[in-house]
Amino acid sequence: MSSTVPPELEAWEVFRQEKEGDPMRHGGSVMAPDAELAVHYARELYGRRQESVRLWVVRRADILDLDDPDLLQPPLDRSFKKPGGYVMRDKLAAAREAAGQPKPKARSG
Amino acid sequence: MTAAAPPIAGALALALDGLLRSMADDEFVIGFSDSEWTGIAPLLEEDVAMSSLAQDELGHAQALYALLADLTGTDADALAYDREPDAYRHCRLLDHGRGDWAMTIARRFLYDSADAVRLEALAEGSWAPLADLVAKLQREERYHRMHATAWFERLARGGDDARSRLITALDALGPDAATVFAPLPEDAALVDAGILAAPMADLETQWRAAIAPVFGALELPMPPAALAPERGRLDHGEAFRWLDTEFTMVRRSDPGATW
Repeated sequence: MSSTVPPELEAWEVFRQEKEGDPMRHGGSVMAPDAELAVHYARELYGRRQESVRLWVVRRADILDLDDPDLLQPPLDRSFKKPGGYVMRDKLAAAREAAGQPKPKARSG
Repeated sequence: MTAAAPPIAGALALALDGLLRSMADDEFVIGFSDSEWTGIAPLLEEDVAMSSLAQDELGHAQALYALLADLTGTDADALAYDREPDAYRHCRLLDHGRGDWAMTIARRFLYDSADAVRLEALAEGSWAPLADLVAKLQREERYHRMHATAWFERLARGGDDARSRLITALDALGPDAATVFAPLPEDAALVDAGILAAPMADLETQWRAAIAPVFGALELPMPPAALAPERGRLDHGEAFRWLDTEFTMVRRSDPGATW
């Protein structure tokens, strides 16, 4: 067996779910030479205290990155695309009453 | 405890004491040995992983010492910290110093694979307090084995330096690997009582069958038979005496203190 260069470390992004039904949220990242160790390290850094029920581990290089300001922060006024001008509270309350549904409780956590 | 469980007395009490002591001491010693990597592991993530594994093992030792303390009317902390070095019953596989990373990984792989066979033989046992605890230990040890196997394979295939260090480590540890299955006092009583599924010698055979495919695929030499299996948990050497001084240092600094 010939000598080999040590494998390069690369970054892996870790997403975690705190409990069933929660959205996956970005937890942070780990450095690892390959997918198997990336999963082990994600488990140790973001799951060893039982703080997660599921992890997603994604090679950072596989993420499609979009930060083009022409696409995301165009210079002209876009306020007409925001819903700020509409007051929905009374309409929603009326619709709920008509449908016989109670107002949902605030989410915990 | 179920109604059908045999009373723990006589030879069985002696055997159960020996079994719990050996398992607890194994977990305690490998936990402290691995904790020596905290701060100096090959990369930060691995530092966290190895430190976390070490903590797991100390947690397992604590649970096993608690069972032994209940059985013998002693105290778990006293069992862990107040014995003389010669009174510990961990296997000789764990008596080598920390060594380099290859030594640590080889020791973990050999111990974790053997411990898995031992736990399997206890999981359906007739003494509920131990069988219940073993079911929990098995769930954590599964990850330990995944971690050890991942590194064992990487070192074996990692080029000249990594592979030759792993082979050096296996040369040093291999002759002591089977001491995990060293005979325990009156251990036939454990099998008769249905606490242990098979004699230690049979478990060693199962362990060899379990690891042979890994050693074969990696073209590594299988561990030889232990030289003096009947003394496999005795005669601890200098490396353990040093470790004992380390892990008892705080406790001895203020005996009886409440922390």
